[in-house]
Amino acid sequence: MKKLLRVFKYEYSRHVFRKRFIFALLGMPFILILIAAFGFISIAIQYKDTPVGYVDNAGVIVDETIILPSGWFFKPVELIRFNDESTARLAVDQGTIQGVYIIDENYIDTGNVHLIAPKTVSSNAQSDFQDFLQLNLLATQSQDRVDRLLDGPKIEIFSIDGSRHASSQRILDIVIPIAVGVLFMVMVNITGGYLLQALLEEKENRTMEIIVTSISPNQLMIGKTLADMCVGLTQLAAWLGFGILGLAVAKVLSPWVAGQQYSLGNLGLVMALIFPAFIMIAGLMAAVGAMMTEGQEAQQMATIFTLPLFVPLWFVGPLMTNPNSPLVIGMSLFPLTSPMTMPLRTAFTTVPTWQLAISLVILYLCAAGALILAGRAFRIGMLQYGRRVKWREVFQRGKSYE
Amino acid sequence: MPAIHVNEITKSFGSIKAVNGVSFEVQQGEIFGLLGPNGAGKTTSIRMILDIFKPDSGSISVLGGAMSEDKKDKIGYLPEERGLYQDIPLERCLIYLASLKGMEMNVIKKRMNEYLERFDLVLSRKKKVKELSKGMQQKAQLISTLIHEPDLIIIDEPFSALDPVNTQIVRELLMEQRDKGKAIVMCTHQMHQVEELCDRLVLIDKGKTVLYGNIHDIRRQFAKREISVWSLDEFPSHVFGVKEIIQENHEIRLRLDATTNPQDVLKDLVNSGIKLERFEIAMPTLDEIFIRVVQGEEMHV
Repeated sequence: MKKLLRVFKYEYSRHVFRKRFIFALLGMPFILILIAAFGFISIAIQYKDTPVGYVDNAGVIVDETIILPSGWFFKPVELIRFNDESTARLAVDQGTIQGVYIIDENYIDTGNVHLIAPKTVSSNAQSDFQDFLQLNLLATQSQDRVDRLLDGPKIEIFSIDGSRHASSQRILDIVIPIAVGVLFMVMVNITGGYLLQALLEEKENRTMEIIVTSISPNQLMIGKTLADMCVGLTQLAAWLGFGILGLAVAKVLSPWVAGQQYSLGNLGLVMALIFPAFIMIAGLMAAVGAMMTEGQEAQQMATIFTLPLFVPLWFVGPLMTNPNSPLVIGMSLFPLTSPMTMPLRTAFTTVPTWQLAISLVILYLCAAGALILAGRAFRIGMLQYGRRVKWREVFQRGKSYE
Repeated sequence: MPAIHVNEITKSFGSIKAVNGVSFEVQQGEIFGLLGPNGAGKTTSIRMILDIFKPDSGSISVLGGAMSEDKKDKIGYLPEERGLYQDIPLERCLIYLASLKGMEMNVIKKRMNEYLERFDLVLSRKKKVKELSKGMQQKAQLISTLIHEPDLIIIDEPFSALDPVNTQIVRELLMEQRDKGKAIVMCTHQMHQVEELCDRLVLIDKGKTVLYGNIHDIRRQFAKREISVWSLDEFPSHVFGVKEIIQENHEIRLRLDATTNPQDVLKDLVNSGIKLERFEIAMPTLDEIFIRVVQGEEMHV
C-alpha cells in the first residue's frame, strides 16, 4: 500500500506540475474568457450614448418617464420627445441626437415606424426604443401581465410516455450534464493520453523492468491509474470552479440565469458515474500503452474507447423526445455511453432505480475489469520491446505470465 | 543458506525453449558469474529469479524461500537495458526509485549524497537524466541498484560505458559489497572482469547449463596439457614424456603426452641441472574456455 501511494504521489506530481498540464488547465477558461472579452469589446465598440429622438404621431407614448431595464454594463440612451418632425430633423442635422423615430399615426394598425438618421442609430439605441415603445403599449395593463408578457411562458416539455419533463426554468439540469460530460470526455482524452504516453516512455526507456522488481505490476497499475484519475479530477475541479465562478457572475448580471435551478442529486449522479468511468477508461488506456510500441498507433487504438463517449451527444434529439426508448436505455446501460446518457435521461424522465443501479454496477465492474486487463497487458507488454502485443494474447496468455 | 537456489528451471515462449533445465546456487558473500552468449537464456533466468516471469517447471528459492513482495526490497537489480526516467532531475529519479524499495526519505537522502559523492555526480544531481553522459547514467543506475543496501545484487554488464577510473570504482564497490556478505550475480561478456572478481560461475548456452563451478577448478579442468618454462640455460631438444617443445627466446612451451604428469617433468628438468626462472602449467583464460564451450568443443557441467 505504501509503495502504491508512492507511485500515486510520483505520477500525480509528475503530471500536475508539468507545463503542458498547466497549459491545458488554464487554456480552456482562458479561451472562454477571451471569447467573452471579444463579445464585450464588440458591444462596447458599437455602443453609443448619444440620445435618440421620437415623434409620436399615434399617441401611444403615454408615459415618457418609464425607466428602461438597465443593461449589464451599459446605460439606456436618453429618448427625447419632439413635437414635430422638422424640429427633430434639425436636431439630427445638428448632431445632438443619433436619429429620430417617427411613429406613424396608424401605428396600432400598421406597426409602421420611420427612422430618420444620417447613417443608422446604434443597436443599443434601437433596442432601447423598442423596449420603450413596448412598455408604453403595456402601460394600461397590470404589472403581473406586463411581467408575464416580458418573461414569456414557462414551458415544460413532457415525454410521450407522460413521465417528467424538461423545464425552461431547469435548463441547467440539461446543460450541466452535457457540460460536465463534454469536460469529462476532454479530460479523459487529455489525461488518458498522459497515462498512455507515460507507459510508452517507460517501455521505451526500459524503466519498467526496474520498477517491477520493486512493486507488483498490479500495484503499479493501480497507483498509476488512480494518479491519472486524480490528475483528471484536478483538471475537472478547476474547470468546474471556473464554471461556478462564471455562473455566479452571470447570476449577478442576468436575472434569467439567477432564476435557474439545478438539482444537486443530478450532479451527484454525474460524479458517481464519472468516477468508475474514468478508472475504466484509464485502465483501458494503460492496457493499450503497455501493449503498443508507438505513440501514434496507441492513440489510434485508444479512440476505440474514447469515441463511444461522444455518441450520446449525437442522440440528444431522441434522448429528449423519448428518453425511455430501447436505444436510449441501452446507451444508459452500456459502460462507454452511460456516463453521459444516464444524467441526461434523468433530466427528461424518471429513470427506474433498477436501471440506475445496473448502470452503476456495470460501470464499477468494468472499471475493475479494466484494471485487471491493464495488469495483464502490462505483464505481457512491459518487456516486449519493439513488438506489439495482441489483444488475444492478453486474454488468452495473460494468466500464464502471472 | 544460499542466496539463490535455482533447480532445473525451464521456460518456453511459444515454441522457443529459452531456458531448459538450468540449475545453480549463489552463496552469500560471493560474486557469481552468470555467463553465456547472447540469447543463451541469461536474462530469462534472471527475470525468473526476480519473479518477473514464472518458470514453466523447476523451482527457485531466493534469500531462503519463494520470492515475495517483501523480498523485492532486499534485491538490487541492474538490467542489461538501462532504465531511468529521462525527463526528470537525477536526484528526483533516484529518490523515487529508492522510495519504491521501501526506504524512508531521510535515509534515501543520506545514502544518495554518499553515492553521488563517491561517483562524482554531486554537480549533476539537478540535471535531467537525459542531459547526463552515458557513463554518468550508468553510474546513476548503479546507485539506484545499491542505494537500499540489498542482500542480493543482480547486475548485468556493470562496466559498460565506464572509463577505467569508474570501472575501478565499481570493482571496489562490488568487492566491498561481497565483503559485507552480500550475494552478487554478475552477467558480463568481459571475461577478465569475471576472472578477477568472481568466485564461481555458471555458463549457459542455448538455455542449458554447460559449465558450472569454481573458476579456478574450471580453468584447471580446461588446462591444456602444456607447460610453460622460462630458462636462460640451453634447453634439451628432448624431454621424457614431452611430445613437442616450442622455444621462443627464453620461453619454452612443452606439450605433454597424454599420460605425463607435469610434476614429473619438473622433477626431470631440475635433476638435469637446468636452472629454471619460471615453471607453470599453462592455464586457459576464461575467454578461451568460453569460446571452446560455446563453439561446442566441450561440455563440462
